[in-house]
Amino acid sequence: MNNKNLFACLLLSLGVWTGCKEVFSSQDSRLSQIAYAPEPYPIQIPEGLPQFEPPADNPLTVAGVALGKKLFHDPILSADSTQSCASCHLSSLGFTDGKAFSKGIDGVEGRRSAMSLINVAFYNTGLFWDGRVKTLEDQALVPVEDPVELHHRWEDLEKQLRRHPEYPGLFRQAFGIERIAEIDKYLAAKAIAQFERTLISGDTKFDQVMRGEEKFTDDEAVGYDIFFDFTDKHPDAECGHCHNAPLFTTQEYENNGITAAQSFEDYSDPGLGGVNGKKLDLGKFRIPSLRNIALTAPYMHDGRFKTLEEVIEHYDAGGEYGPNVSPVLRPLKLNKTQKRQLIAFLHTLTDRTFVSDLETQNN
Amino acid sequence: MRKFSFLLLFATLFIASSCDDDTPKPEPAGDIQITFKGNYDGETFYTQKAYDYTDDMPVRFSAFNFFVANISLLEQEDATEETELIDIDFIDLGFDETQTAEAEAGVTVSAMKVPAGTYRGLKVGFGVPADLNRTNPVDYGSGDVLSKTSHYWSAWNSYIFSKIEGVADVDGDGQFETSEGEGLTLHMGTDATYTERILFPSSPIVVDEDGSINLTLNIDLKTLFYMPINEYDVNNDELLDIETFNGTHTDSELLIAKQLMRNFSEATALD
Repeated sequence: MNNKNLFACLLLSLGVWTGCKEVFSSQDSRLSQIAYAPEPYPIQIPEGLPQFEPPADNPLTVAGVALGKKLFHDPILSADSTQSCASCHLSSLGFTDGKAFSKGIDGVEGRRSAMSLINVAFYNTGLFWDGRVKTLEDQALVPVEDPVELHHRWEDLEKQLRRHPEYPGLFRQAFGIERIAEIDKYLAAKAIAQFERTLISGDTKFDQVMRGEEKFTDDEAVGYDIFFDFTDKHPDAECGHCHNAPLFTTQEYENNGITAAQSFEDYSDPGLGGVNGKKLDLGKFRIPSLRNIALTAPYMHDGRFKTLEEVIEHYDAGGEYGPNVSPVLRPLKLNKTQKRQLIAFLHTLTDRTFVSDLETQNN
Repeated sequence: MRKFSFLLLFATLFIASSCDDDTPKPEPAGDIQITFKGNYDGETFYTQKAYDYTDDMPVRFSAFNFFVANISLLEQEDATEETELIDIDFIDLGFDETQTAEAEAGVTVSAMKVPAGTYRGLKVGFGVPADLNRTNPVDYGSGDVLSKTSHYWSAWNSYIFSKIEGVADVDGDGQFETSEGEGLTLHMGTDATYTERILFPSSPIVVDEDGSINLTLNIDLKTLFYMPINEYDVNNDELLDIETFNGTHTDSELLIAKQLMRNFSEATALD
């Protein structure tokens, strides 16, 4: 390259650089004209659910939740702009996708089933099936770069968000940014976390019965007794140990005997043990909530059971042998009627209002 | 005027010095810590370790935890004067053999300042006292020990005061099989099972000003299983028949739960 060319190149680079700078400067000045007046999001917590405790550094605001909702549903989050969070977390399926293993943008299956996001605001013992992240803000960062999910790069996504016609203004309204360059993955994750914290469901038939507004049918009432073991009249299915109300999960991690294992090394998916390095936690997974369980088939971390009937059969048989299977598992010896009654009770955990409200909002 | 000024100054100084005398001096105080350690038959307790429950029935525990409440120091043996230390806390002694240091160190509840002095005894409650047991986990923020839904049983309207879980090799085939019904889930709760114990150390507990002392409570899990023979129809040399009574959920099993909690008293020793 001769000196003339080199000079031309340098001049061109400078021109581009100053041009970019001017674009950002003018956008930045337009940004500051957008009002930043954060308004607290009016969250309603149904009676009987735990206390709502968003992190102090990410309180819910109307603009923050709206931004999070837009990001959650926007395929811009994936490298080829074909998938969003909502691709695997459909409101109509209780924020799951109806598949044993979700497929990412490259058509590659993940190794675990998509988890429901309902009432995730109350989760405080780790997220994902193996508990590998602590907060929703940390969780929202992961799927974007996961090769079997959205397979994008945050660095590129940040650029896309900064040059997008709408997002800079929405980030301004949500977080009061003064410069477009402030848009980053952490703010995006905060917004998504805000939206996810609004996915609160607590108006099932079960809740209505507890509030004295409804009554169980005879079958549901027996199923309720079998589930929680209130009386000696019916057998105890031991469900309440792990799926206690009000969230229908104790938020612990357990091995529920779905994988036969003679030793700890036999667990092909290490679960919690793969995260914390503890042998005794191998094969343990987060206990999922049973709220809206009728909508979230297939079941278990690997979606191995297609129906609730299959799930009940598994627990009725007492589970497989394993070195750290939860001691609450044992052969239940439920008869056909009792199994049906237990399933009738599980259907009372579906919040139709919540699902139909979301579907209306999304259409 | 000069005389008046002098009087005014004198009065002011007098009042100021009187005020100084009235200011309460901080009471001499020292720090105290309470540590809970788990044992099984006199040895350090580990989860997932096989122990002889009876000669022909080994047992492997997976959980041993409990609430403690109303812990206080007693100035006299008649327990008329108490210095409160802990309102409520949760102790989890579920350490496995990869956690020997933790198991041997035990679980220490936070250090507290108490007035310096000599104390004769220590009172410890096991479980959740009735006033707190009328609440439930949704009444508490997530950081509170009483927010644990894993330790609340709505059928009882009560917290689960203690959980002892494991698997017993009931059929003696060398395997601990929940799939064969060998699981053990002893969950204790309801007001009737709350237990308090007063412990008197061989020498008085002396808290020095600015000093720090640690009181260690050793709790022997095996001792919890001893039952009065006639009342519970046991047949294993006074140990609870865990082949028959492997769960404590319903009213019919409340007597067992009550005795297991009562046994915390006998099972606890102060170092």
